[in-house]
Amino acid sequence: MRSQALAALRAIRPPMTVISDDEGLKPFETDAFIAHRETPMLAVLPDDEAQVRQVVKACHALGVPVVSRGAGTGISGGAIPHRDGVLLVLSKMRRIDEVNALARTATVEPGVRNLQVSEAVAHLGLFYAPDPSSQSICSIGGNVAENSGGVHCLKYGLTTHNLLAVRAIDADGDVIDAGSLALDAPGYDLLALLTGSEGNLGVITRVTVRLLPLPERTETLLAAFPSVRQAAEAVGEIIGAGIIPAALEMMDRIVIEACERFMAMGFPTGAEALLLAEVDGGKEEAGEALEAVSAILARCGASEVRVAADSVERERLWKSRKGAFTALATILPDYYTIDGTIPRRCLPEVLAEITRLSAEYGMTVGNVFHAGDGNIHPCIFYDAGKPGELERSEEFGGRILELCVAVGGTITGEHGVGIEKLRQMCVQFRAPELAAFHDVKRAFDPDSILNPGKAVPTLKRCAEWGGTHMRAGRMPHADIPRF
Amino acid sequence: MSAVREVSHDAKRARVAAELARVLPAKSVLVEREALKPYECDGLSAYRETPLLAAIPADESEVAAVLAVARATGTPVVARGSGTGLSGGALPLSDGILLSLARFNRVVAVDPLARIARVQPGVTNLKISQHVAHLGLYYAPDPSSQIACSIGGNVAENSGGVHCLKYGLTVHNIVKVRVITVEGDIVDLGSEALDSPGYDLLATITGSEGLLAVILEVTVKLLPKPEVAQVVMASFGDVESAGEAVARVIGAGIVPAGLEMMDKLATRAVEGFVHAGYDLEAEAILLAESDGSREEVAHEIAQVIEIMRSSGATDIRCSSSDAERLRFWSGRKAAFPAVGRISPDYYCIDGSIPRGALAKVLKRTEELSARYGLRCANVFHAGDGNLHPLILYDANIPGELETTERFAADILELCIEVGGTITGEHGVGIEKINQMCSQFRPAELAQFRAVKAAFDPEGLLNPGKMVPTLHRCAEYGAMRVKGGALPHPDLPRF
Repeated sequence: MRSQALAALRAIRPPMTVISDDEGLKPFETDAFIAHRETPMLAVLPDDEAQVRQVVKACHALGVPVVSRGAGTGISGGAIPHRDGVLLVLSKMRRIDEVNALARTATVEPGVRNLQVSEAVAHLGLFYAPDPSSQSICSIGGNVAENSGGVHCLKYGLTTHNLLAVRAIDADGDVIDAGSLALDAPGYDLLALLTGSEGNLGVITRVTVRLLPLPERTETLLAAFPSVRQAAEAVGEIIGAGIIPAALEMMDRIVIEACERFMAMGFPTGAEALLLAEVDGGKEEAGEALEAVSAILARCGASEVRVAADSVERERLWKSRKGAFTALATILPDYYTIDGTIPRRCLPEVLAEITRLSAEYGMTVGNVFHAGDGNIHPCIFYDAGKPGELERSEEFGGRILELCVAVGGTITGEHGVGIEKLRQMCVQFRAPELAAFHDVKRAFDPDSILNPGKAVPTLKRCAEWGGTHMRAGRMPHADIPRF
Repeated sequence: MSAVREVSHDAKRARVAAELARVLPAKSVLVEREALKPYECDGLSAYRETPLLAAIPADESEVAAVLAVARATGTPVVARGSGTGLSGGALPLSDGILLSLARFNRVVAVDPLARIARVQPGVTNLKISQHVAHLGLYYAPDPSSQIACSIGGNVAENSGGVHCLKYGLTVHNIVKVRVITVEGDIVDLGSEALDSPGYDLLATITGSEGLLAVILEVTVKLLPKPEVAQVVMASFGDVESAGEAVARVIGAGIVPAGLEMMDKLATRAVEGFVHAGYDLEAEAILLAESDGSREEVAHEIAQVIEIMRSSGATDIRCSSSDAERLRFWSGRKAAFPAVGRISPDYYCIDGSIPRGALAKVLKRTEELSARYGLRCANVFHAGDGNLHPLILYDANIPGELETTERFAADILELCIEVGGTITGEHGVGIEKINQMCSQFRPAELAQFRAVKAAFDPEGLLNPGKMVPTLHRCAEYGAMRVKGGALPHPDLPRF
């Protein structure tokens, strides 16, 4: 099969880069979910959409799986290669095709980096809002596939809220244009369906994003709290007051201390939690929001509130948040970052339960997360050098995700399911829901050649896992045949 | 032949009625012709059909029972909310069950802290806002029919409204839906948290016009009521400058709560009807509303006035009280009935275009109006490029309805030509099913059908709506060969 596939890919005209030697394939064996690795059968780096179509058609004809990859920064393993499949690397397709300042749109190829879009339109006073922390390297195509978020998605939404149109190649090699440049598009919402589908429904070859005017004024506040509960309550109060900050981030003591050691931020000492809030908009709007947020922070018991005096200080404050994950590496050799979401009101209760679980497992947890939209990122510290610690950290992580589901939240906020959270999908959804996902998958990819085995678990796998996840004596998916 | 069909039709009705009688109380099944009359059309009243029968279930288990009967007897099902849809999505099928969700009219729960409300599909749009008004909250999407239209229908059609420029369509204002598939599976889609893993079936169901599942419950987002609202009314000497002003408002990064345009024909019709104080000499009037906190509104209104002035507005007025604001809006909201006073009949088109093409499309519409010899009034959501040209005609003049439909089809094709779409907020239904063949390529239509089959393999839910068969497109294409190029040349024809 390998030689057949290689011949078919080499026959594509004009020729493109086809990698078949082990050494050349090595860099592609994982994405940012580095705990798992797999060498692909072959990798191709097409230069344009016509070649992508031919690759998909060739693979379809041979029944060879296709895994798409952008910049490989995904952290749930969505771009981990398939051993018997072709890795379709879109990094060479990085042209910005069109910028329309009046319509405030940009049409780009999938390999264009997230930050590159904002850089290209900055002279027009515009920007592309979603900003994953990896924005300097992650690709737009990958952002669409994972429906990525970022620090500012509280106000500006996830990727799906910032797209107008997407062009995808389906499993037959047909071109599907989803969405439109106008208000709405008739028919089923294939744009939303493709967004976040993790490479399972089509290969993205072109993306039209919405651009926003750069805000006139931005204000950043840092508030220290004597307890996590008070900080969590302040988050609820701010949102409850109808204020939508551009960002509202929280860090607990473990993280504050790590940042302090690593970056010497000069944070207030003795604080149990820090809130980093940003408000933006017109001059009056941002000023008014700044006052309102300051008042709420004080009322909720903040021991100190600092407002960044200028953009230099603002950058410094954000550096602490964006550098937090690097700083955490000073605590223990390894950590596992969880990505779950919860309804905001459950924040205090969920954080308390994570602390309890931390004691139960005897493992330290640091919390640094998007508090405003209830997207938590607990970091479990462990030492992979000690036998059994990795497994225990994974079990602990699984418990946290199940806790998210139990309070009405979900097992992913912005990192996707990939292979990392396949198992928790069985907890999140009931059998009819998973069946609906499979039906949709079949509607796009009847032979299952696009990223098979990712994002949606088979009912069979759920049944197998069900044995280990029996809750309150009830067998999940009791209606599924077992072995 | 027709007598034979009648007999078999009656036999089928009797059979399905008998099956339903076993699972529903007698009052919940309508079979008499008089009782079925009110269901024969929705807001697209040019099309009428009497359903085989109607079922009005009272709870989820009864809906499941109706679907089970439909499956067992191979009977199609058309779901209906309030029947205010304008594209015929709830038009019954003569051999199908009309499934009314009217009894699902309860607000189930309101969570003011999370700012969400869980409601049954038959609850009217406005009732949600009324129900949470004491909490200082409201539900943003506001179709003009909001007093009567149901939230289930809003989800099915992905409805918009005057304020969707700022607040989004229905899809942007719901967090969860609970649906029942034709197979009887109850599925909860979306979540109360930021995001939900798996494919975005919430968005897929929204706007699916009753083809994928029956909606049982909707969880909507609620917003805090803005502190103040103010509206600017600006007159323009020509439609192009008004279009230009719209583009510049949006280009400046302002997102008004509403940004509406009316042309001269419309303002004149309206003024005689409601006396809103419109400038009758203006070729176009723009209404721009700003809402939010006091400071925010004052700032935005000043910016809007400046842009209107520099775009050549001949007159600019700003509401100084809420009463005046409502008076300015009264004309816009009454535009459709007002046009009804100056013409025996009118046909309202719903298309959307990229905002940049506004001036061009309005000019071409004017040319088409001259060519077809039919007047056309323009009243529309200019801010988001959602056009609503109203073609004035007299159905009693032989051929005029047909001319009107050709004119309307030309306008929709024009929307597609400039990169827009054939619907803004009214859906496709039966009305625009032919234009779907122009909007989409065969690969895309095939994908729609594959999605349909994934949810409803036997095609029992609202068959014949929204997604045309390739056969139908081939026939439509044959009718509308343009510039010698046959659309979808790769399709088999008959």
